[in-house]
Amino acid sequence: MPSWAEFQPYIVTGLALGGLYALSGVGLVVLYRATGVLNLAFGAVGAMGAFIAYSIIKAGNPGWVGWITCILFAGVVTLGYGMLFGPALAGRGPLVQSISTLGLALVLFGAIDLAWPTSGGQSPSISFPTDNGGFTVGQLQVTWTQVIALGLGIVITVGTGAFLRYSKLGTAMRAMANDRVITATLGVPIRRVEAAAWLGCGLLSGIAGIMLADLSALDDTTLVFTVVISSLAAALIGRLRSISVTFVAALVIGLVHDLITPITQLTNYQDMTPFVLATIALLVMSRGQVMTRSREEG
Amino acid sequence: MIDTADTTGPKAPAPASRGPAMDRRSLTRLSVIAVLLLLALFALPPLMTAYYTDTMTQVAIYSIVTLGLGLLVGRVGLYSLGQLAVLTIGAWVGARLLFATSQPYILVLIEAGLVTMIIGSLITLPALRLRGLYLALITLMLAGGVSVIEATLNFPNGGGGFSGYNGSLLHIPQIRRPSFAGTDPAFYRFSVIVAIVMFLLVFAHLRTRPGRAWAAIKQSEPSALAAGINTTFYKLWAMALAAFVTGVAGALLAGADRELFSIDFPIQNSIELLAVVLMGGAFALTGAVIAAFLQSFLPALLQIWGVPNDWLIILFGVGVMQVLATAPGGIADQFPKDMKRLYRLISRLWTRPPAVTAGSPSAASATGQAGKGGGAA
Repeated sequence: MPSWAEFQPYIVTGLALGGLYALSGVGLVVLYRATGVLNLAFGAVGAMGAFIAYSIIKAGNPGWVGWITCILFAGVVTLGYGMLFGPALAGRGPLVQSISTLGLALVLFGAIDLAWPTSGGQSPSISFPTDNGGFTVGQLQVTWTQVIALGLGIVITVGTGAFLRYSKLGTAMRAMANDRVITATLGVPIRRVEAAAWLGCGLLSGIAGIMLADLSALDDTTLVFTVVISSLAAALIGRLRSISVTFVAALVIGLVHDLITPITQLTNYQDMTPFVLATIALLVMSRGQVMTRSREEG
Repeated sequence: MIDTADTTGPKAPAPASRGPAMDRRSLTRLSVIAVLLLLALFALPPLMTAYYTDTMTQVAIYSIVTLGLGLLVGRVGLYSLGQLAVLTIGAWVGARLLFATSQPYILVLIEAGLVTMIIGSLITLPALRLRGLYLALITLMLAGGVSVIEATLNFPNGGGGFSGYNGSLLHIPQIRRPSFAGTDPAFYRFSVIVAIVMFLLVFAHLRTRPGRAWAAIKQSEPSALAAGINTTFYKLWAMALAAFVTGVAGALLAGADRELFSIDFPIQNSIELLAVVLMGGAFALTGAVIAAFLQSFLPALLQIWGVPNDWLIILFGVGVMQVLATAPGGIADQFPKDMKRLYRLISRLWTRPPAVTAGSPSAASATGQAGKGGGAA
């Protein structure tokens, strides 16, 4: 068993990663509650945005142009998908709607591989100016990027919570999560509310994509699958319902994932963390049979 | 709307065709299938180059995998994203047994199927209490988890110990094949025969009690429960059957590839697998064969043509969205309909001026499909 000092740096990286998972998880939960679609293309959209940002920055443009393009791209693509397939699949149930987003994930995954082939040359990467600055706590080196990642997670979670509670649009989203048909009858323009949810989810996926490309790696498999699986696990632990539970779960997943690193026997299995944690959570929760009866009955 | 009957394709007329007087249509279908199988078994092998023999062996093996997944998706309504993980478990067990023992190959196939069935059932048993979306998500995570384990454990390559992997082996022995199917064409025939047996096994299930129970569960779980069907038991049965055939396919794959590497089973293939099953048609057994061709034959063709495989992934992605949005029956269901429509259109061209009826047939079929789509969901 490694000593405590060896674990310490991984607390920082784990929290930073957890913050991004939280941000992603909140994006997934909000879209799911508002539209009934679990956006499984979340990671793929962010990954494509990050790759585009990489190309833009590599071409000599200032960094912020790339970052903003990434976030906007993710927002536009997700919104476009939602506008195109949301109405076409409405009423087919969350399962079919969510499986359909896997189609988008495959398209983007193929496109990334096609446009940025992995073989040969320098592997692409994204770096922020905040990577180099930072401060130390005890002997721990903390970069500003890590602070931003965790901060974004907190801000987005709190902000989304407040938005859902106090704003008119947020109230409409909560109403739709409760009952779509009644909400429509009451005169809420549900298409527009759905569009807002898609756009929000897309923008968040762009943020998550560019940040993870910096903190983790600009690698399509990692960004497309690991991110989705980790944040999905967090969202599942939050029962696709509670953003505060999702937030905590995401931090725990990020922390556990990184804290395993120094334990040599388990290092290779650290990517199983979200799966194991989500399975345990699902098993415990399915006792109450709450999960099986959510929106899918409607 | 009870629509499973019209989407089951060749096996649709269930009670009517049972008697001695088999109706002409199913007889024709049966003979077409028989002729195609005979062609695949005897006419194809001498005609194919080694490359295509390999490819067609893969098609035969993957048709078993898509059969299992199609059973889950189309018959029971369980969307599993972890079927590739199940395949790799079967391949691992098969390879390990083939290295460790000198049992006959067919026995190993059955053992690998049984072990995979047990592992698969144990893993999915807790998930089965969940429904729909949650099951799909947990199987996706399962796929991620298993791929991590595979990458660490590696496939057996003739080493010792439990894992059977020895990273420092200079000369890696090949996984053995049955004595009667040592050559590639012979192994191709063997794979086709195993695939036929697996299809018959699943077909027998569909035509008897479990098949009816699955159909009821797919229509509505609460009413199946109300009708006295033990839904968890039958869902587990479906999962176990799918895991068994997939495990057999895995052990077959071990003999076909002769060397297995975990990088050959990337996680995106799990999603691709579901994509091809949906595109091929999850409601018909023929859909499984079409799906296997999409999965294994198209990449081989693209490789010859020099087209990057990524285009295929993009195509599958578009295909999944299109199938879910407009044609839930997949190619197996849609292709005959399209052909009929084309035939009608052409025959109309001969009899009437085309301008009069140009819009009506497509509009009529579109509404028909929309209604069907709602039912199939």
